[in-house]
Amino acid sequence: MSMKDFTYRLGEFWADFRKETSGLIGLGILALCVVVVLLEPVFLPYKDIDGNWRDITYWEDNPPAAPPAWTNLFAKEKSATTIRFESPSVSDEEDPEYGPVRVFTFKYPYKFDKSPLDIIMRAKGTGMLFMNISMERPDGNSVFLGQVYQDGLVGDQIRFAVDTDARGSVYEFIRDHASEEAISQSDSSNVKPTEIIFAQTGEKMLSERIPLKGDYLYKIKIPASLFEDGSNSIEDVRLVVTGRVSGVLGTDTSKRDIYSGIIAGLKWALFIGLITSIISVLVGVMYGIICAYFGGATDTIMSFIFEVFVSMPMLPILIVLSAIFKPSIWIIIGSMIAFYWVGPVKTVRSMALQIKEETYIEAAKALGSSKWRIIFKHMAPLLLPYSFANMALSVPGAIVAESSLSLLGLGDPTIISWGQILHDAQLSGATLNGLWWWIVPPGLFIAVMGMTFAFLGFAMDKILHPKLRTR
Amino acid sequence: MEKLLEVKNLRLYYHTSKGAVRALDDVSFDLRKGETLGLVGESGCGKTTTGVALLKMPSPPGRIEEGSKIILSGRDIMTLPEREVRKNVRWEEVSMVFQGAMNCLTPVYTIGKQMLETLHEHRDMDNKQAEELITEYLALVGLPPEVMGRYPHEMSGGMKQRIVIATALFLKPKLVILDEPTTALDVIVQAQIINLLKKLKKTFELSFIFITHDLSLEAEVSDRICVMYAGKIAELGTNQQIYGKQGPMHPYTEKLLQATPLLRKKVDSLSYIPGTPPDLIDPPKGCRFHPRCHKVMDKCSQEEPPLLEIEPGHMVACWRCGK
Amino acid sequence: MYKWYAFKRILRGVFMFALLMCLFSLLFNQVNEQTQRSQINEQVKMESMKLRNMRSEQLTAWRDNRLDQLTKLYKLDRPLAERVLFRALNTITFRFGKSTIIKSSKGDQDVLTILLEALPRTMVLFSVAIVFELILGIWLGLKKAQKPGGRLDKSTSFVTMIIYGMPSWWLGMMLILLFVYVLKLFPSGGVNSVPTPQGFAFVLDRLWHMALPIMTLVILGFWSLAFVIRNLVLGILQEDYIMSARARGVPERKVLFGHTLRTAAPPIVTMALLSLLASLSGAIIFEGIFSWPGLGNLYWVAVQQNDIPVLMGDLAITTGVYQAGLVFLDLIYGFLDPRIKVGGKA
Repeated sequence: MSMKDFTYRLGEFWADFRKETSGLIGLGILALCVVVVLLEPVFLPYKDIDGNWRDITYWEDNPPAAPPAWTNLFAKEKSATTIRFESPSVSDEEDPEYGPVRVFTFKYPYKFDKSPLDIIMRAKGTGMLFMNISMERPDGNSVFLGQVYQDGLVGDQIRFAVDTDARGSVYEFIRDHASEEAISQSDSSNVKPTEIIFAQTGEKMLSERIPLKGDYLYKIKIPASLFEDGSNSIEDVRLVVTGRVSGVLGTDTSKRDIYSGIIAGLKWALFIGLITSIISVLVGVMYGIICAYFGGATDTIMSFIFEVFVSMPMLPILIVLSAIFKPSIWIIIGSMIAFYWVGPVKTVRSMALQIKEETYIEAAKALGSSKWRIIFKHMAPLLLPYSFANMALSVPGAIVAESSLSLLGLGDPTIISWGQILHDAQLSGATLNGLWWWIVPPGLFIAVMGMTFAFLGFAMDKILHPKLRTR
Repeated sequence: MEKLLEVKNLRLYYHTSKGAVRALDDVSFDLRKGETLGLVGESGCGKTTTGVALLKMPSPPGRIEEGSKIILSGRDIMTLPEREVRKNVRWEEVSMVFQGAMNCLTPVYTIGKQMLETLHEHRDMDNKQAEELITEYLALVGLPPEVMGRYPHEMSGGMKQRIVIATALFLKPKLVILDEPTTALDVIVQAQIINLLKKLKKTFELSFIFITHDLSLEAEVSDRICVMYAGKIAELGTNQQIYGKQGPMHPYTEKLLQATPLLRKKVDSLSYIPGTPPDLIDPPKGCRFHPRCHKVMDKCSQEEPPLLEIEPGHMVACWRCGK
Repeated sequence: MYKWYAFKRILRGVFMFALLMCLFSLLFNQVNEQTQRSQINEQVKMESMKLRNMRSEQLTAWRDNRLDQLTKLYKLDRPLAERVLFRALNTITFRFGKSTIIKSSKGDQDVLTILLEALPRTMVLFSVAIVFELILGIWLGLKKAQKPGGRLDKSTSFVTMIIYGMPSWWLGMMLILLFVYVLKLFPSGGVNSVPTPQGFAFVLDRLWHMALPIMTLVILGFWSLAFVIRNLVLGILQEDYIMSARARGVPERKVLFGHTLRTAAPPIVTMALLSLLASLSGAIIFEGIFSWPGLGNLYWVAVQQNDIPVLMGDLAITTGVYQAGLVFLDLIYGFLDPRIKVGGKA
């Protein structure tokens, strides 16, 4: 079939396809997914996720098991969201205590009812560094958080977390601003430093912790003298406010941002689904054609092999194989193909048998065309449309199969798959603890993927099987 | 002779998403008691459609249009409700022997069950009486009663055709429509079936509408012949008038007859009618045959010729043949 | 005619099963033998502990002797082909050996007992589900076929497509979230409540526990069945024999349920059974979600506890059931379709 034929057929197909709303929806969603996959860095708040999914330190600064940020819309009391600050304002000032200092300031507008869980400062330092860290509150009070002194740094990470490193200082703050009575009455060991920092001073400071809303300034003061000789430097100063809610889809118990996990998993879902279905359908179609065309002993043997494969229940075998041999994702895809190829064979074989009887095949043979030429030039193009619909309809099955394996913990741990996220959820008791944002999205996305390809596949099937069209 | 059937202005359109297919467009003819009327034409000209229309069973999205009249034994069945038609008209007054007996018997029921079912719908009989009746008719068509316990796929084409004929007759309808009853059969079986039909017609005083595309068969069987083209009647006349020495008048009929090679004449080349049957959604303006006609005039492409009686009992729809 | 056909088919099924067991035996040879060896060692240890009054050399000699004996018994000293075939033969005759950890409800470690306990639980779940699926599927399919392209038809087809790629276990999870935690209508899993009620209350309790899993299966299953039935029925309605039946005066109801449905019966039953077999595959996780102690759940448990004999046995039984299903399918199809049942000569 020439290029011109092909483009004509494609045009005809498109004209019909355009009329199917469901097909268009499917195509739209698929296009959206492809865009997301290609432009992954744009959509991912955590760019290096693929390698770091299992690295605890990468996710250190997130809150564990935090609901999505938008749940605030439905909550009476608004919880602080997780925010990252990357560019502090730098100024050189005169400090009453230290003299000339370089001040790095982060402005944090606080409008929530429930305070953040932690405030973490990170920086990369060289040489010797001394930092005085404090928080200026909107009510004028300044909370001294702590001091950092490090020497012999060679571009190393400096980390200062309020929850762990500023406890003592905040305690001081309490002693300065709350009554003795209040202190003895309250159970201060249960109170987080952040809760105090963001609470109004006064009578109820410890017991009720009424939020103090406004602009907070996180200040890092470094004596200017340190920078004079150039051997000391500090860069990449960042601040993370670890809120009680985080991200588009919240976090899991290992503090990983679930939204990023889903986006990263999208490419694997698409990849696994498409590769498996395309290859298995191609194999199946070729198998069917060869069976039909060559007939005789070839057909008998091939049909026998076909029956053996059909008799094998896919998932149980996959599970046992994975449990014992612990394969990589490529082997898993390979095994899935080994089961899925049987799908189109029966139909293709009967269709091919019909085509074989057509006169033009006989004519081609009479003209001396080789067997393979006939198969590829005459038979395959007729069966290709059917196989496209079949491919689309096989994708959901492949995605679900891989998810099922991952759900059982038998998938490939080096990739991020939605099934795996669910596996971790099961393992960490997400269902029992009501962490719905962990359980619902991965499965939902699997279902949506399935739906997308179902739309596509059924629309294609409708067009290529006109007998079932309703007038 | 009294008129058994009068068809007036029959229109049957299939309403598809691409437009209305005018399968039958203003068809009128009569059938007298005891005669065989033949319907001939190319595939898709409306022969079978006429058959199902007479049973008031257009297949969806077909619809018999307003203004059509089908008067059977004095009653216009178009005015009757469906229930009445199903119970008392179909199969009681008019029945049909279907085309390609291959596929008109449900494959999962035995022959006997299907015949019994038909009987039970129309007559109050117990099984024994029904079976006796069926056996009687099976014998009439030359089949043994064992046939009742068999499934359709176990029968040969000829046997199935006979079964279908027996089923069409056992309620003693006055009119039987036969739609290509011998098309899928070999010549010998064909002859047997035709003889059987002739015999039955005589025995039961039946009237036939015999639909086929085989002109020679038509000539043998029919008293009067109706030539259809593109949903309209092109010519209607007696056997003699169409096949006889004066020759037919409509160019289409002329060509049809020419296209049938004669056994005794030497055939140098096969004559055929050029072109293809027209699109019934948007048929040609004027006479529908004019694009393919070898005697076409200017008028033919502008005005549609009415069906005129050019000699007693002989109607033609052609400008060439008018007064 | 049919009996001969049935016989041949069953024979083929048995043969296929045997072949597959040999294949599995070969594929999982290493793992199986490892387990066997460790089991033998365990057994010898247990036995030697019961011996008394033996000096250490005697003990060692006895041990070696016993080890040798058992190794020979399990044919572990023979060439590969013989070992593979021997084990396959055992599997085919349902001698699955003992489990490493898992115990049956009576504390038995015989793999076959464990499996046979689990089997009916799975069967009951899926059989009930398929009955509901068929009833609902046929009803909806017929309704859709009566007005093709109509609102009901289009909207239900839409739903079919939405559900198409949904994993049964996810729907199960969602339904659990909804009905167990939000609405608190059903139990979250298991076969019975604890403590187990007696008598009629036992049956009711069972049904109450079965409700959610069956609902999940049926919701997923009957839509696609309805879709297939709709297409089948539409195809048949275009056939000549349907028009012929109508012309002969058969009332519409009989045409639909009698002629059409009866003709469609072979492919419908086939489809339903095939989808059942397919969902059997997915049952593994499905049962896990509901903590339903059937064959599927056993896979979970066996994998988690690394109990190879149970895993292998489960695989064997699952394959066996699958194969039996395929054979049954062909037999039913042949029974329902006279063209096969009575053979033809036309």
